[in-house]
Amino acid sequence: MSFKVTRRKFLQTASLAAATLPLAKVVSAETGFVRDPFTPPGSFAGTQTVTGGVCEMCFWRCQLVGKVRDKKLVKLEGNPKSIDNGKSICARGNAGIKLLYDPDRLKFPLKNIGERGKPVWKQISWQEALDECGARLKAVQEKYGSHSIAMFPHGASAKYPMDFFEKVVGTHNVSEASFFQCRGIRDSAYMATFSVPPDESVDMANAKAILLIGCHFGENVHVSHVKAYLKGLENGARLVVVDPRYSASAAKSHIWVQIKPGTDTAFLLAVMNYLVTKDKYDKNFVKAHCVGFAEFKQGIAHASLDWAAKICDVPAQQIQEVAELLAANAPNVSIHPGRHVSWHGNDFQRVRAQACLTALLGAVGVKGGFVKPKGVKVKGISWPGSEHGGEYNLRLLADKHHYAPPGTPTELIRDACISGKPYPIKGCVVWGQNPIQTIPNPQKTIAALQQMDFVMCVDIMPTDITMYADILLPEPCYLEKYDFIKTGTQWNFADKHQQYIAPRMPLVDAMFERRDGVWIMNEIARRMGHGDKIPVNSVEEKVNKELAAVNLSIDQLKKEDGIHIQDGKDPYGVEEDFEVLLYNEDLEDNGYPAVPTYIAVDDAPKGFARLVYGRAPVHTFNRSQNNVWLHHAMPVNPLWLNDEIAREMGLQDGDEIELVNSEGVKSSSKTVVKVTPGIRKDTVYMAHGYGSRNPLLTLGFHAGADDQELITRLAIDPETGCNGMRNNFVKIVKDGKALDIPA
Amino acid sequence: MADIFRFLAQAMRYPAAEWFNDDFQSVLLQLLNELHWQEEQEELRLAMARAENFLEDVQIEHTRLFINAIPHVAAAPYASVHYKGDGTLYGAIAEQTKKFYRSKGFTLARENDLPDHLVYELEFLALLAKEDPDGQREFLYSLFTPWFDIFRNKVLREAHHPYYRIVVNLIDFFTREEL
Repeated sequence: MSFKVTRRKFLQTASLAAATLPLAKVVSAETGFVRDPFTPPGSFAGTQTVTGGVCEMCFWRCQLVGKVRDKKLVKLEGNPKSIDNGKSICARGNAGIKLLYDPDRLKFPLKNIGERGKPVWKQISWQEALDECGARLKAVQEKYGSHSIAMFPHGASAKYPMDFFEKVVGTHNVSEASFFQCRGIRDSAYMATFSVPPDESVDMANAKAILLIGCHFGENVHVSHVKAYLKGLENGARLVVVDPRYSASAAKSHIWVQIKPGTDTAFLLAVMNYLVTKDKYDKNFVKAHCVGFAEFKQGIAHASLDWAAKICDVPAQQIQEVAELLAANAPNVSIHPGRHVSWHGNDFQRVRAQACLTALLGAVGVKGGFVKPKGVKVKGISWPGSEHGGEYNLRLLADKHHYAPPGTPTELIRDACISGKPYPIKGCVVWGQNPIQTIPNPQKTIAALQQMDFVMCVDIMPTDITMYADILLPEPCYLEKYDFIKTGTQWNFADKHQQYIAPRMPLVDAMFERRDGVWIMNEIARRMGHGDKIPVNSVEEKVNKELAAVNLSIDQLKKEDGIHIQDGKDPYGVEEDFEVLLYNEDLEDNGYPAVPTYIAVDDAPKGFARLVYGRAPVHTFNRSQNNVWLHHAMPVNPLWLNDEIAREMGLQDGDEIELVNSEGVKSSSKTVVKVTPGIRKDTVYMAHGYGSRNPLLTLGFHAGADDQELITRLAIDPETGCNGMRNNFVKIVKDGKALDIPA
Repeated sequence: MADIFRFLAQAMRYPAAEWFNDDFQSVLLQLLNELHWQEEQEELRLAMARAENFLEDVQIEHTRLFINAIPHVAAAPYASVHYKGDGTLYGAIAEQTKKFYRSKGFTLARENDLPDHLVYELEFLALLAKEDPDGQREFLYSLFTPWFDIFRNKVLREAHHPYYRIVVNLIDFFTREEL
């Protein structure tokens, strides 16, 4: 060990040390400080309320205000002016502040100088990052064609970039998880029945009865939606919940149908057949608005109560009881269309059955029924479109999935990436989506990414997919930027009819070197040779131009505390030409059942249980996994296991376990068992979005188990090409030993 | 001392070719020499000699330790991540630090930057070294040392490259004995 001088000694011999070292010559002249006259604490303004926030902890987008003290956001609250969520925000909304100040967030552009999947990150300048993105995307485009670029976008800030790649670059290969792994089936099925996508447009607040197929409000929290649901219950609505699990909604239900997963269509067919054969449907509505009733009636005639009871594993009497309850309360019945509906690969038929049941009850345009709100339209400004033809459209080339939602089914893109047929896909842009956790069978996604010439990701957090990026770019989060304009109406149609317009505005300035999506996309577009097509120079300009169409501006909205409210319109009533296709001839022409039809799914093999998943009230899947408050509220996702089964297996509540699926894929992290009588014996359940495999997430890494990596048996909904994700079967692994589930 | 704190602040900035050059590295080696930190000097020289690209090695290490990396950002250079909080940015100590700057007549040139970044705190110590030794001691005692000790231990535990181990030990050396 060498002798070391003390600091004191070092400074005392200054002539030999500090004074002779040219320290000052090698440091910058500039410092991070400027002189500022001292202001004693208490004499300057304290917390300031900043308006104009629009939440993005989930897609519901509640309106917010921020309490800001000295440039720091210290609290989030609902905007008291809101006619949507009002002063209320949920646990996730409150915890947005911890997303803002999460030290794991992306801060600077990063370049991966290691391997995809095993990245070695190096901070680089925006100039270098953008030059590389522009040059490498252009190289892919020139070598393989525009169609060789795939894009996986998600969220409000990804819309503008998505439009660039679709409209200007001209690739069809854009796939949104919100469609192909979530709600696309619902929208397509309602389009094929009502000619309108349903959103969640049922008037629950004024319903006499509510039917939920798998919806689990309370665990699935969207503030104004839950307010409407609870108002309905408060007003005396009868609640029917169809779910294999005793969910938060099942706990409030008058009838809980503990259905066998995958058989909901059979249940709905039997309810509808009962209504038709007992003359308990709305004849006037059917006569006025429905097409193909005779064919429909004939098509569902086989669906007796006993037939469905056997398939669904519920008593025939209970199905009858549900049908009677709905008929007794018709037409003021909310048949909820659902949100995440990509379950079993037979889902288009189920959701179409929900729409048909709504029509049979005459529950359209009436209090409590299917009612589309009449909000104000604010048209988005984006890239100019041009015709790129269908030559390279994978869906058209495959001649299937004729009722696919917008974009290209994810499976077709992944298959083309891996096989190189019908053409290679060599460039990938991921913008705000985490396909590793949103698309089943992540190994297939990884294989698709590994063969790319170039992968770029834009995100706010280092999610799993970012490990596969060559260039990783940081965006501001929703609290730090302009982007989306939220519009809507008052949440309860019984109240005065009003409309609102609430553009997202920053509550605080963006930190580090995060840049918004409009700026990033414009800069890359310039480098790809499309600078002449840039429609707006900044996100502020974009929002202002969009607002100008409704005679508003950012300045005006600031004066109005972030929300413009104007008189609304009565949403009730049905247009004379509103048409319901109970029997859809086009479907038949394309080779699909024209009348809602039950298509059986595989049963669990012996020793396995079906894995189903859902939401947790304090998490929005992977997006909130690393949030310190939300993580502490629910750090892992317990596996719900029937108590009798647990007893037979010798498992106790809280036991630490892993899972292995019927194809031998084992979970890469652990969770715990929740022993409960509230789930069927043949089914296990966990909240989705846990067990991240990216170690960059300090809290989320391996916290709980990831259901998605166990979803390797891929079901594809034939009409839409969307993934069905509840046809996978698991065993429980305890202390390294796989245990049979004796269902 | 002001020059030393400025030098240490510079050493903790993201290494860019404009300043992380032969001159800077030479001064660092001289400083280690004056302090008789022979082992550290040799370790650094060895890393320089072995490196194909010494600048890039230090850039990668900086990104991994202080920005984003696997197995996660090892030692975020912000007080509030380590002390009196829940591990997030802009905690109570960051606000206290900002207030302390103000009480001494300073504020950050870029107001939106986080006030408790190690580079700012070292620059602030440099300012106080010139004008307010009592204030410097107070700042070190109440706001700097409590978190820096935790941060330094994380860097020493997680660092793959000698550069940052040496720099945090230098910071420790020049701040600890100030108390």
